[in-house]
Amino acid sequence: MHFFGISTTLLLQAGAGLAAVVVALYILRLRRRPASVPFAKLWQRVLRDKESSALFSQLRRLLSLLLQLLLLGLLLLALADPRPSAPAAGARHLVVLVDASASMKATDVGPQGAAAAGPAGAVASGPRSRLELAREKVRELGRSLSGADAMLVAQMDAALTPLSSMTSEPAEIEQAARRLAAVDVRAALAPALRFALDALRALSRPEIVVVSDGALGEPSDAAGPVDLGDVPLSFVPVGKGGRNVAVTGFAVRRYPLDKSRYEVMLEATNAGDEPEDVELELYGDGELSDIVALRLGPHESRSRFYPNLSGASRTLEARIALRGGGRDVLPADDRAFALLPERRRARVQLVTAGNTYLEAALLLDEYLEVVTVPPGRYPAAGAFDVTIFDSVGPALAPHSGHVLYLNPSGEHLPFKLGPEIKSARGRNVGFDELDAHSPLLRHVSLGDVNVARAHVLEGTKEDRAVGRSERGALLLQGRRQGTRFVALGFDIRESDLPLRIAWPLLLLNVISDFIEEDIGYVSSLRTGDVWHVPAPGQAQTGRLRLPDGSEQVVPIKDGRAVFLGRHAGFYTLLVREGAEERTSMFAANMSDPVESAVKPATELRVGARQAGELAGFAVGARRRWWIYLIGAALLITALEWLGYHRRVTV
Amino acid sequence: MRRALACAAAPLSRSAARPRAQEPLFDEEFQRKLEYLALVSRRVFSGAMKAERRTKKTGSGVEFADRREYVAGDDFRHLDWHAYGRFDELLLRLFEEQEDLSIYFLLDSSWSMGFGSGAKLRHAKRLCAALAYVGLANLDRVAIVTAGDRVTGRMPPTRGKARIFRVFRFLEAVSPDGDTDLGAAARAFAAQHKRRGLAVLLSDLYDPAGFESGINALRYSRFEPLVLHIVEPADRAPLLKGDLLLRDCESGEEREVTVSGRVLARYGQAYDAYLESVRRFCTAKRVSYFAADVRVPFDELILRLFRRGGFLR
Repeated sequence: MHFFGISTTLLLQAGAGLAAVVVALYILRLRRRPASVPFAKLWQRVLRDKESSALFSQLRRLLSLLLQLLLLGLLLLALADPRPSAPAAGARHLVVLVDASASMKATDVGPQGAAAAGPAGAVASGPRSRLELAREKVRELGRSLSGADAMLVAQMDAALTPLSSMTSEPAEIEQAARRLAAVDVRAALAPALRFALDALRALSRPEIVVVSDGALGEPSDAAGPVDLGDVPLSFVPVGKGGRNVAVTGFAVRRYPLDKSRYEVMLEATNAGDEPEDVELELYGDGELSDIVALRLGPHESRSRFYPNLSGASRTLEARIALRGGGRDVLPADDRAFALLPERRRARVQLVTAGNTYLEAALLLDEYLEVVTVPPGRYPAAGAFDVTIFDSVGPALAPHSGHVLYLNPSGEHLPFKLGPEIKSARGRNVGFDELDAHSPLLRHVSLGDVNVARAHVLEGTKEDRAVGRSERGALLLQGRRQGTRFVALGFDIRESDLPLRIAWPLLLLNVISDFIEEDIGYVSSLRTGDVWHVPAPGQAQTGRLRLPDGSEQVVPIKDGRAVFLGRHAGFYTLLVREGAEERTSMFAANMSDPVESAVKPATELRVGARQAGELAGFAVGARRRWWIYLIGAALLITALEWLGYHRRVTV
Repeated sequence: MRRALACAAAPLSRSAARPRAQEPLFDEEFQRKLEYLALVSRRVFSGAMKAERRTKKTGSGVEFADRREYVAGDDFRHLDWHAYGRFDELLLRLFEEQEDLSIYFLLDSSWSMGFGSGAKLRHAKRLCAALAYVGLANLDRVAIVTAGDRVTGRMPPTRGKARIFRVFRFLEAVSPDGDTDLGAAARAFAAQHKRRGLAVLLSDLYDPAGFESGINALRYSRFEPLVLHIVEPADRAPLLKGDLLLRDCESGEEREVTVSGRVLARYGQAYDAYLESVRRFCTAKRVSYFAADVRVPFDELILRLFRRGGFLR
């Protein structure tokens, strides 16, 4: 047995003290009231017969005292709130997985009810969302628990968040229900089911309840399909309607050779069963820059391109709405966000004895301020964002920024120069393996580059080989003490690379990657993913301001802030370095056609098993012993009162 | 004083209500009833000074009582010539003596009579006054003595209806005082009153030494006792319950008792047995006995007494 009220020590102390008080009061109560009679002799005749029952009278007094002490004991025990240490056999254990994905924000289930308090007790107004209905379902389940049944409430979105312990406490369940909040992500069902199975291990009568509109991911992950075993699965569907239009794609990119201009791709989707007339709006820095009307067929997605745009310096936003004032049940996917990174002039220090191909390529970007320095006069005055060492490898001077090594040599290299490799007859040196996902190689094709001679580059295990020949890395990327470097293991003049368009693109990609101006990655991040956002400075933590204005501390690892994004909108990362606080912005979108397809599902399948309906719950008495103890105490009080006044217990 | 408070502190025993001191004891209604009672009783009283009660003494009355032999010096006017003609003997006729009766009222004024609301003493006073008026109306000599364990008050013998107000004043001034010792009180009474007569004992008979001693003392002193036993229902069924310390209002004797329904029932039985023992004793000793319940109006009680006899002949 466990005591959930007052502690055992306090219980015993209070019991001893109060018992002494009860005995003292009882002794006082035994004092007789004086009463006059006109002729005591008559009483003597009566009391002579009563002498033999004195012992019985004493016993009745003792009975009354024992009843008083029993009463005290019951009350104290009730205060201690005893509960069985082990759940009663046959107690049900539930894990309730509540879908908190973006589709649960759909407002298609009617107006707000009486008890519709949400997070932090705020009572929402207006149409009720699916999550509100799910919250009510959780509350109903909590009220329907009987006996020793217990339930655990968990929020299921991109990650699984338990909101309560395995409990039968109404207050804890209510608090968990209040904390449910829908986010702009897709729900991950597989990890949620695995968590539920782990939580229900070795518990009696386990059961999993999924409260959702059915827009869930596949019940499988990297570990394979989820096997529920013998654990029953119930599905509580929420949601009614399916009319929804959404911005399911929004991407922006700068033109590689004219970064002052950009183009936008926008995808609109009609997730409903009926054709819809919609309006697409494009905003740049908050100003409406374009509006177009479209007619989308049932379940149709249509992309629209906006080429050669200029003017916006920072934010881009796309909005979709039904024409004619119709109600879209899921407003969360009607807006998409994108961010244009700031254009600034980057200072580039070029340490070279002369390289026409290199110098010409750098002229293509008007936002580069290039200072050419002969190797003997390195470093140049001032601070630089990027330093390019052409066929040299001196010790890195301060304020050199990040470094690009072309045909490196010398003893101060941050990596090791491997053996020289040469092209031979029938066997050219080139890139045999390329990391196509590297931002350095975006829009760049190096697969057919021919190199006459090169050195293999040997870095540490943290370094990244972006391009490799069969003999080793030829294009290496890494970081040393906060300073990033990229190294190309050959002289471009000993290859045909300068003759290709890939050469200036590669060079500008490297510089852009150094100064965080990735022309292809500029638009937005996707909610539901773990973001690694470039963080300025050397700090270990930063503050992330979310679209709703709240802030959260995020860790920074290897120059990137790590965060699981759940909301669409604009984010601001603040990193303090000394007295200076540096900020950077980025955007995030849901862009999930699956979530935008809000038509609720009527069934849920996990593998070959179909989830059943929720059954077997009815309002029942909870096994709270303190209730019965109080009842027993009241009953004994009544009996003692009756006995005292009937002179049964004196 | 303490006992007076104890006996008067009825709420402790919850036995009776407080005395209604504000009600006059002998109001006009009471006096009207007295006149009625006197009329009813008129046909049975007689006395020597034209009082209306006969005695068994032979004397100069007109009622023939008996004969005896003539001796020199007897009054020859009372010779029974009819008997001489028949028996050839000189016999003298004897006549009953007619003289007035002394009625003594021995009023128990002990603490027990004043216990609770004092209804017993009040009732006893009314009975005493009513019977005294009947006696006075029939030209008897009436005297009242109050006693507990001793004679505490005395109204000398008096006669004539007009003296009733003296009786009233005397009785109104009586208050409960002293323990009950009927034997000592009766002996003291007998020693103070040589002229014998009817001794009406008005008491609740709560004598620790036994009620017999008082009645016997009157008998042995050649008084004719008439016992008016004053009873109160609250004495039989007191409102007592629980763990109590019973205290006798006269002796102060204390006794712990736990009063339950059963105990009360047994007490009632003991009380009834006590009343029955008094009745049986009086019957055995040929003493007139009458139980006077305080709930019954005094006039009705007296009429019952008249019907039963013992006070009127």
